[in-house]
Amino acid sequence: MLVIGAGCAVSPALAQGYRVRLDGRVQSVGFRGVELDSIPVSSAVIGPSGGSYSPDGFAVRCAPGSAFCYFFRPGREQRAAPAVTSADFTVWGLGLTGLSFHGSARVAADLGNADVWPGTDPSVQLLEAYAEYNTEPLIGRLGRQVYSSRLGFSGFDGARITLRDVKRGFDAVGYFGQGLARGTALPVTSPALNPLDDFQPHDRQIVAGAALGYTGGLADIRLDYQREVDPRSDHFVSERAALASEVRLIPRLALAGGAEYDIAQGIWGSSDVTLRYVAPDFALSAGFQRYRPHFELWTMWGVFSPVAYQAVTGSASYSGLPHLQLRARGTRFFYEKTETETPLVSVEDHGWRYSLGATWTPIAQLSLEIGQEAEFAPGGSYVSYDGALSYAPREQLLFTLYGAKLTRPLEFRFDEATLREVGVGGSWRPSERWQVDLSAARFAENRKRPDAAAFDWNQTRLSARLSYLFGSGEGTLRLPKGRRPTETGSRTP
Amino acid sequence: MKRAQRLVGAVGILLLAGSAGQLLGRRTRDGFDHAKHSKLFPSCQSCHAGIRDASQPIFPSTASCAECHDGQVEKRVDWEAPVTPPPTNLRFTHARHDTQVRSRLGADSTLACVACHSEKAAGWMEVKRTLSRQCLDCHGHAETHLAVADSACASCHLTLAQASTLTRETIAGFPEPESHQAPGFALSGHGRQVSSTIPGQAVAASCATCHARDFCITCHVDAPEQRSIQALGEDPRSLAIATELKAPPSHAAANFLNRHGAQARGGAQECRTCHTRESCSTCHTQEPAAARGLAMAGAGRGKGAEVTRGRPASHGTDFRDSHAALAQASPRSCAACHARTECLDCHRPTAASTGSYHPAGFLTRHPVAAYARETSCADCHSSTAFCAACHQQSGLTAQKLLGSGYHDSKQSFAFGHGQAARQNLESCVGCHVERDCLTCHSARGGRNFNPHGPGFDADRMKRKNSETCTVCHGASIP
Repeated sequence: MLVIGAGCAVSPALAQGYRVRLDGRVQSVGFRGVELDSIPVSSAVIGPSGGSYSPDGFAVRCAPGSAFCYFFRPGREQRAAPAVTSADFTVWGLGLTGLSFHGSARVAADLGNADVWPGTDPSVQLLEAYAEYNTEPLIGRLGRQVYSSRLGFSGFDGARITLRDVKRGFDAVGYFGQGLARGTALPVTSPALNPLDDFQPHDRQIVAGAALGYTGGLADIRLDYQREVDPRSDHFVSERAALASEVRLIPRLALAGGAEYDIAQGIWGSSDVTLRYVAPDFALSAGFQRYRPHFELWTMWGVFSPVAYQAVTGSASYSGLPHLQLRARGTRFFYEKTETETPLVSVEDHGWRYSLGATWTPIAQLSLEIGQEAEFAPGGSYVSYDGALSYAPREQLLFTLYGAKLTRPLEFRFDEATLREVGVGGSWRPSERWQVDLSAARFAENRKRPDAAAFDWNQTRLSARLSYLFGSGEGTLRLPKGRRPTETGSRTP
Repeated sequence: MKRAQRLVGAVGILLLAGSAGQLLGRRTRDGFDHAKHSKLFPSCQSCHAGIRDASQPIFPSTASCAECHDGQVEKRVDWEAPVTPPPTNLRFTHARHDTQVRSRLGADSTLACVACHSEKAAGWMEVKRTLSRQCLDCHGHAETHLAVADSACASCHLTLAQASTLTRETIAGFPEPESHQAPGFALSGHGRQVSSTIPGQAVAASCATCHARDFCITCHVDAPEQRSIQALGEDPRSLAIATELKAPPSHAAANFLNRHGAQARGGAQECRTCHTRESCSTCHTQEPAAARGLAMAGAGRGKGAEVTRGRPASHGTDFRDSHAALAQASPRSCAACHARTECLDCHRPTAASTGSYHPAGFLTRHPVAAYARETSCADCHSSTAFCAACHQQSGLTAQKLLGSGYHDSKQSFAFGHGQAARQNLESCVGCHVERDCLTCHSARGGRNFNPHGPGFDADRMKRKNSETCTVCHGASIP
């Protein structure tokens, strides 16, 4: 890693080409959480509905045999101001054709009064930093990198080799290294990953994997295998395999899907298959989905046997009308049998969700988007309406005004809440190098609860972003979204 | 009153404009009406003596016209004989043509002017400029003028580059041959006709008569490599004939974006005609191997097809939610156009990000979305560093005290929590730690409740990671 870091540090000076993106974001949030409190059983009073209340009006829970009754009162007001500066760079032209260095790092801090915001600890996080040697039949990477597959995004410090037969469309991948935790750029041993002070591994897991893939005009198919091992005990942390594919036998029609198998636990994981038809004026899709959460074996969670849910999904969109696009989605899902029924509990095992939306673009600079979403499921439901008005008087300038209303029962908590949100945002790109974004949003909640716990969750969020791009070579720096410079530095004429 | 004045004024302006137009129209007509003068002139040579005798002028003098048009007998005319030859791309001169006729047909042979300048049944002095049909008939070509073999063109015509007197306007008015309307002519058809039937000539005279290299470079990126294009002379006037690069029908196919890579690898020669390497780099983040067969943009080449980075057919309105399947099956296809930083912007979001994947206001409904999840939260968020940390700061932790009453919508929630836990354990993990559950679910203490549910394979678990088993079972794992 030190070698890679040193290489990355000196290489911009030696390289013929480089691109660097500096991106600074800051957000200001004020919010009030909840705080667990208790009173002696003897202090509880009987309220008008017959239940137990604290003297100041909070409904309390007095467990049989317990000396105290518990309740949640409003927490103290907290202000967070997460500020993150990201730096992404690519360096090439180091004298060896195909050699390049890539890096992405973040410096984060919570400038608020309570240092409460998640993701700002530790303050320096390295997402990727690797050297790449890229030729047509072989790609080698060394350093911190993220490998994405049907099994998720796996970060590790190590090496990866890809062999390609570009003409026939085949490739094979092998990788090995010290792994990072799921969903973050931190190792599993980081204190930031143990906020609740529970079980945590002592050592980083060793991750190794391989993949075989075929990419062709009619079909793509990929088979992945990955294992993670705890080096201290040689026990498996996880061992999984997955298959992913997309078949396009008929123009406009695609069948995509895949499946995961947890070899360590001997169970099938998530799987899905979707048939999609895309025509110039409309698109249709229908599919089946099965979702089962995956837990590593260093946690206890897997032995609690979480069950999967199965869903049938469908979606349609139509853009054949002038200036108008319509879309709809729907899902009906069923949980597999939990075997948790008791005489006192009836188990809900199914739910549904849908969303409807329309986008009206009367002129190129203006668009109005409205939508409705609803979901009914065990554990949570909601109905929401939202709308957004976007106006782009110039290509470099975009203003957005949006609003939403959400009605929901609080999950497993008494009772309902209605929440309204309004927000405004602006994006300005004064030159190819600079981009500025500003936004503000206000959330206002109304909780329908007959005791003092009906406090609101109101909050205001302000955010700002400044992005600066620079690099070698003349001309366009800010390439179309999703594009980065090539080694030749060539551009569209 | 004012309205009437305005009306009269407008009518006056219109009349003036109309009169001016008529005058201009007259000035542009041929000045001499041959048919009207047919009874005055018994032979062509009386006025056009220079046609056969190079020492004589081709056109009559103004004075000879004034013999009649003196203002008394006939009105004066302001015609003057042209001092320069008219713009033409004919390699023909009357004198040479006359010599050649005599040498081929015999010394006493002659060719009357009407043979070329009058229709066959026309009266005396009903003349026209060159009648190409008459030329073709004499030369033995039965086809129409623009359909004759390319070897015949050069008999009468200079190449465009040689015909320096032609103006852009004249060139723009060249008639279009029927062959140019044939299906596929613009794509591959014209390439098949460009070879000359005359040995030693690199380009057909039929092309060179109307076109020069600049015209070809409008489209052809591979112009320097095309012998036939290089054989044409340079001439910017050739751009007077408008043309534009059009995508072939194959590019409109719904799955073209998916298949173009294989096609390019199999036949980069075709791509090379219209595409520079820059075409590839408009979308591709790394230069594909097939691009190496293409030329870089440069002098003497067409600028090529201007590629716009568009969404493939698969990238529909809900692609944001459904992109995983394609990305998992073919990460290489994604990597062709997308940089990794784009993936990481969402899959490793920054703490100060206001969100790009989730819609505005998603925070308000994230509990429901996390419970009956449509997508996996763990692909982008750490359940401990993100979910648990935020919930902890908001006071939403069990704090190792069960029965605190947070889940107060059901008084019997503790009895039914198994359903919620099995249906969505990932939501529970947002606030609860493992020890909360082990309070009751452990073989070594608590209430000895068995946590294992459907599908639990104890033997396999013991084999793969017995350490987990020891937390509840100690050393005596069953």
